[in-house]
Amino acid sequence: MSPSDTAALQSVLEQHRPEPGRPANILRTLLAVQQVLGHVPVNAIGSVAEALQVPESHVAGVLSYYPDLHAAPRGRRIVRVCVGEACVANRSCDVLAECQAFLDIGIGETTKDGGTTLERVYCLGNCGVGPTVMIDETIYGRVCPSDMEKMLRQADDRRV
Amino acid sequence: MTVTIYLSNDTSAKATGADRLAAAWTEVPDVRIVRTSSRGAFFLEPLVERDGPRGRLLWPQAKPDDLRRIRTGAGGIAVADVPFLAQQQRAIFARFGTAQPLSLEEFRTQGGCRGWERANGLPPEVIIAEIRTSGLRGRGGAAFPVWYKWDAARQHRADQKYVIANADEGDAGTYCDRMIMEGEPFRLIEGMLICAKAIGADRGYVYCRWEYPAAAATMQAAIAEAEHAGWLTIDQRPFHLEVFRGAGSYVCGEETALLSSLEGGRGMVKVRPPYPAEAGLYGKPTVVSNVLTFATVPEIMARGSEWHAALGTEGSKGLIALQLGGRIRQPGLVEIPFGATLGEVLERFGGGMAEGSRFKAVQVGGPLGSLFPESQLNIPLCFDRFNEAGAVLGHGGIVVFDHETDMVELARHYMTFTADESCGKCTPCRIGSVRARELLERIERLNGTRDDLALLADLGSTMKATSLCAHGGRAPYPVLTAIEHFGDDFDRRLSGKNAKRGS
Repeated sequence: MSPSDTAALQSVLEQHRPEPGRPANILRTLLAVQQVLGHVPVNAIGSVAEALQVPESHVAGVLSYYPDLHAAPRGRRIVRVCVGEACVANRSCDVLAECQAFLDIGIGETTKDGGTTLERVYCLGNCGVGPTVMIDETIYGRVCPSDMEKMLRQADDRRV
Repeated sequence: MTVTIYLSNDTSAKATGADRLAAAWTEVPDVRIVRTSSRGAFFLEPLVERDGPRGRLLWPQAKPDDLRRIRTGAGGIAVADVPFLAQQQRAIFARFGTAQPLSLEEFRTQGGCRGWERANGLPPEVIIAEIRTSGLRGRGGAAFPVWYKWDAARQHRADQKYVIANADEGDAGTYCDRMIMEGEPFRLIEGMLICAKAIGADRGYVYCRWEYPAAAATMQAAIAEAEHAGWLTIDQRPFHLEVFRGAGSYVCGEETALLSSLEGGRGMVKVRPPYPAEAGLYGKPTVVSNVLTFATVPEIMARGSEWHAALGTEGSKGLIALQLGGRIRQPGLVEIPFGATLGEVLERFGGGMAEGSRFKAVQVGGPLGSLFPESQLNIPLCFDRFNEAGAVLGHGGIVVFDHETDMVELARHYMTFTADESCGKCTPCRIGSVRARELLERIERLNGTRDDLALLADLGSTMKATSLCAHGGRAPYPVLTAIEHFGDDFDRRLSGKNAKRGS
């Protein structure tokens, strides 16, 4: 971790130290760490365990359990395609296949330049206007496979 | 003259361009834009409304150029004339689409807070008796009598008790909890306050799934607003309420897994008893109920238990919030009394199949729900009849699949989901779901035999009988009903021939 990451981590941990008589909350702490660092580096586990006064194995166990806690860095942009049943009924698997083809990566993988990570998600509650795609924090509805290339390029432009 | 234009602020309205409309019109002189909750008629989104001579007028699937027409009123359809909305019997969702989600004042003016005002003056036993008479059963999927949990938690003496809203709406194809949190967050807070008063709790959490960022933000803002207004007080004591975010685990919708997650640990299922009402969060008496359940409670307290008990069927009192999705023309939220048949709902509200599609199957109750073929659409939507049929209403999700759906692919998709999301605590679910997925992959790759179907049936009955929670226990249902009703799709793969799309 860089010195600035270490400082950011310490600042998050300060805020999540349990108050006397209150139990520590590992999940909440790890989500906060991820918010600041983008992921939870494996070599941060020791510091988290020490700050929360819990065994390292508990921290590692929580980190590995949740699909949305990440121990490795991901792309600068996250593309998520919904594969909940309502979206699947409306051919979201074709949208997912289009993304894989355009980005030339598999599900859960990141492009070589570290730009984009592709994930599938089981339902964003946007079922009334599926197929649904989420690019970073923005949710799109009624997405056709043929829209994907343009959407991904536009997202690129916004980032630049 | 200034025209007020109403635009929903709901995730699905934004996903179809509501923000683009707002951005295009926000600088226009004499136009005032008000962002509201959603009517749940998602096929009409982005939907624009304004006041007309007799109630609201709407313009469906609006574009920026439509502003001129909207200002003159040309082409506006009266909301009351939209059959999808007019044929519903809304109560919990009655005000949806009209008010600003974060205005406590509008919430009060429109009749909110009345349930709490009544409950606040009653002893806990009377509140619980009222809920009992109403016949309210949990809306998250398990359909457990609500009063029973409340009464158990009330009777247990403890220095600390908790009220928890299960907002981990993980069943694919469901979104009514999201709508409530984004659209009428004060309703959920009101229901939780009533429960807290009834059981003697002074602390509550809304456990909100990661996939609902807008819902979590709206709830957080609403809680701050309620606190600021001095509303979060029970018997002169503060009621602490906060939002807790999940991290993408489906099983955390199961109450014991939810509690483990809320404590900050791995969201794994625990053996019950003890039930959360006796020993829940940090071992203290805890009521965990679904968002829609809490949202129903203020309505019962305000209108009286008889109102609720008079709706629906013998074993399923009240209203059901159905969430239509998949290959139909009119996906959206439908609130009607329990008891209508599945076919009636699809016909009256679904609006027929999407263009070019023919009906093949409908799944009710999320990814663990059964598939129904056309011949079984006469089943009434109520807990008992679904139970008799070995099916579940779950959280009210209804997803329609069309003739292009390959049931082998779909069955494999279900088992992939089950295996991905199994918490790993019990063997039947952890190992069984992986084995079932492998069998289905084998069939999909044309390497399957008839013995594999027998194995799937055998494995399915083991998972049903021995899994610790509904995740493993219900997972075989969509797969086995796919095999039962759409055997041809499987036969084609078994005989070595690929299922031809559209056949």
